[in-house]
Amino acid sequence: MKIVVLLSAGAHPVSSAPVLPRLEAQALRLALALGETTGLHAGPSAAPAADALGHGLGLLTHLATREGDDPIPALVAALKAETPDLVLAGRRGQGGEETGLAPYAVAAALGVTIVADAVALAPGAAPGSLVVEQALPKGARRRLVVRLPALVTVHPGAPAPGAYAYGVARRGRVDTIWGVAGSAAEPNPIAVEERPYRPRPKLMRSAPGTGSAAERLAAATGGMASSGANVLVQPTPDEAARAILEHLRRIGVLAPAVANKPAA
Amino acid sequence: MTYALPVLVFVMVALATAQALRRAAWWRQGAAAEVAWGPGLLALPRRYLVDVHHVVARDAYASRMHAVVAGGLIVATVLAGLAILPSLGGSRLYWAIVALAFGVTAAGSLLVGARRYPAKPRRLSGGRFQILPFLLLAYALGGLAGALLLALGAASTPALIAALALSGVGGLGLAYEVRRGPMRHAVAGALHLVAHPRPGRFRSRLDTALAPLDLDAARLGAETPADFTWNRLLSYDSCIQCGRCETACPAFAAGQPLNPKRLIQDLVAGMTADEPPYAGSPYPNAREVDPPAAPLARLIGPDARIHPDTLWACTTCRACVEECPMMIEHVDAIVSLRRNETMEFARPPEKAADILSDLRGAGEPGGRALSARTDFAAGLDLPVISARGEADVLLWLGEGAYDLRYGRTLRALVRLMRDAGVDFAVLGAEERDTGDLARRLGDEATYQQLARANVETLGRYRFGRIVTADPHALHALRNEYRVFGGEWTVVHHTALLLELIEAGRLKPGVLGGLSVTYHDPCYLGRYNGETEAPRKVLDLIGASRVEMARSGRRSMCCGGGGGAPISDVAGDRRIPDIRMGQAIETGAAVVAVACPTCTAMLEGVTGVRPDVKDIAELLLASMELGA
Repeated sequence: MKIVVLLSAGAHPVSSAPVLPRLEAQALRLALALGETTGLHAGPSAAPAADALGHGLGLLTHLATREGDDPIPALVAALKAETPDLVLAGRRGQGGEETGLAPYAVAAALGVTIVADAVALAPGAAPGSLVVEQALPKGARRRLVVRLPALVTVHPGAPAPGAYAYGVARRGRVDTIWGVAGSAAEPNPIAVEERPYRPRPKLMRSAPGTGSAAERLAAATGGMASSGANVLVQPTPDEAARAILEHLRRIGVLAPAVANKPAA
Repeated sequence: MTYALPVLVFVMVALATAQALRRAAWWRQGAAAEVAWGPGLLALPRRYLVDVHHVVARDAYASRMHAVVAGGLIVATVLAGLAILPSLGGSRLYWAIVALAFGVTAAGSLLVGARRYPAKPRRLSGGRFQILPFLLLAYALGGLAGALLLALGAASTPALIAALALSGVGGLGLAYEVRRGPMRHAVAGALHLVAHPRPGRFRSRLDTALAPLDLDAARLGAETPADFTWNRLLSYDSCIQCGRCETACPAFAAGQPLNPKRLIQDLVAGMTADEPPYAGSPYPNAREVDPPAAPLARLIGPDARIHPDTLWACTTCRACVEECPMMIEHVDAIVSLRRNETMEFARPPEKAADILSDLRGAGEPGGRALSARTDFAAGLDLPVISARGEADVLLWLGEGAYDLRYGRTLRALVRLMRDAGVDFAVLGAEERDTGDLARRLGDEATYQQLARANVETLGRYRFGRIVTADPHALHALRNEYRVFGGEWTVVHHTALLLELIEAGRLKPGVLGGLSVTYHDPCYLGRYNGETEAPRKVLDLIGASRVEMARSGRRSMCCGGGGGAPISDVAGDRRIPDIRMGQAIETGAAVVAVACPTCTAMLEGVTGVRPDVKDIAELLLASMELGA
């Protein structure tokens, strides 16, 4: 299986030093366990992404674009030429704009399936397929079988990245392709204000302002309500629709059910 | 028949030489090393008679035994060999002297035997070592009988032939043992003392800094025995398997799978793969391995000779090196092997990956902001050197500053320095980790990156000296940064505090009746030889000081060095629990510490136990009492 991992120029969340984003190091670990892997980075310098070599990547192709260029066209052109079976990316960048849109833009331009938030990958039973374990909210997992080629983004819940090793990095190679045509990125239409990150307490929307501490805790954590978890296993469409409607009514998206008989 | 004994001696020497040369062919498989042969040879008698004796004499019985048996063996053999000269061989008086020498050897052989029979201490190895006293005794008794007969003028009797035969069995046995048996330590040991990889550690000096690794070398660290320099392979051959290292090793005591003696023997066995089976105590709770039969194979791995858990259990406390009578450098070997595992195979301990990555990316093992290092001093108004450009004393805070418990110690130190009117400043957000942790975990590349950055930062400011409360930082700044261009006077805070008291700038009160036992940090006591200043401070504040069984240069590790808390190799007990047990035995109410790592490890011990207090905290408490 031919795999390409998209690598970005990340910044350390605390020191802002250029580092390989953790998610991409996790993607590398998944990819290296699966098959022949190369890395792809589009940007003015290969240095931040070159850390991937220390995580076991043998070859990093660096598409040297100008500062401020949109990397998507360069990535798409290179992937079209390369035709990998599988493209892996982090679910979002680290440092920079961190929109998480790059994988979607690349997948759309390539016209391949995109599966978000993988935590484990395995070759499928049928040739040319891939089993993806996908992370869902609240710790749930979903197993999907995807027909290749596909683009898969990696979730932070995937296995922790392997260690960076200086000696391993020495054995890797960076191929820089100069003069890659790029188009200047569109300026962000929304003015963005940058502030240092400040940890904030988590807001607990459902917590009532009154009652004993135990009651408030139970309400906040769903301690009492969660006893009847609203998970339906293979419900009939009718049952499922009812459950959804009931939920939407309870949280106030839909108006309360109208009584069948109009009041006399 | 007068010449039979001298001829036997010459045959023995020839056999021993041949066996030693066969062994030397293996040493030559090691990497090249620069050895100062001339000074080494000149220093040999002193190194042997003073430095080695100093260590051996800690076990008085072993010391006397060795003096008698080795001295007797050498003198008797040389004298018997000289009897080839007709003027000597014909003298009955001369033979009487030879008989005396063999008699001394025989007495020594009995001492050797008495240590091993009927039961040998657990730390000694068995196997071929159990045969050694018999070979020695046969050689000595045969020589004694032969020389006596010649002294009495019985030049050709069946008795003389029998005596010579007995002597021949023992003597040739000993000579044959030079390649793979106990007698190897004699030849390899003498050569090792000449070609020692750390010649600076003799004459009671310290040479404890790790050598920097050339990051452009074809192979980083040691993967097979051939990657060690030849004189290190030679040093491993000088091991007599006395087991003093294992009794000193904290990991061994805790039931972690490390035994320094076994480790050295594994390195030896990995060289030729036809070494006689090891007959000493094993790695405790040894992990299963599958050693390859081929010589010079990979050393570390579940499929190799040494399990990675063995490698990562070491706290780099140097207790084994301190105890080794043959001056073997176990910790250097461990670090070489770790460098290979971490940098060539990307296999540091599992929990180290994130820590090393944060050290690379943020200059700090916890991935915390460097500016948060001074948070412990909120309200203390800590002067930052970048605002002033110079200071008398640069206070290096170290990793302990992030720890809430250790912040108390640093606050006490800052208050003491302020009370004494010391002109000091900190680097603030410019202080990175020293990289000590990365280095001991084998990540020399990250260490060198941090070391260069720190040397560059410190080079921008003017200060008289560096003071730190962290012995690991002290060792790095004082000894290991030198090759990166960092030459400073580096002082431990206990030494500074003593100096301030002696100069009258601090007036300690008296903590009357408080019984205190002081725990020596390895990186201060063993690595830097500083054991007195903290004790003097304790005496000056009127603490009644009691010593643990192991203290000073021979103190026991808290279990916190060398990245061991990160490797977290499972054992039967925890090292800090053992050390705290020793502190409890003294009955002291307080364990005095002088290192953030020791503080954290000993504070982590549960149950009823003495308080853990830094020297600075105790001094401040005494002053507050006095005020």
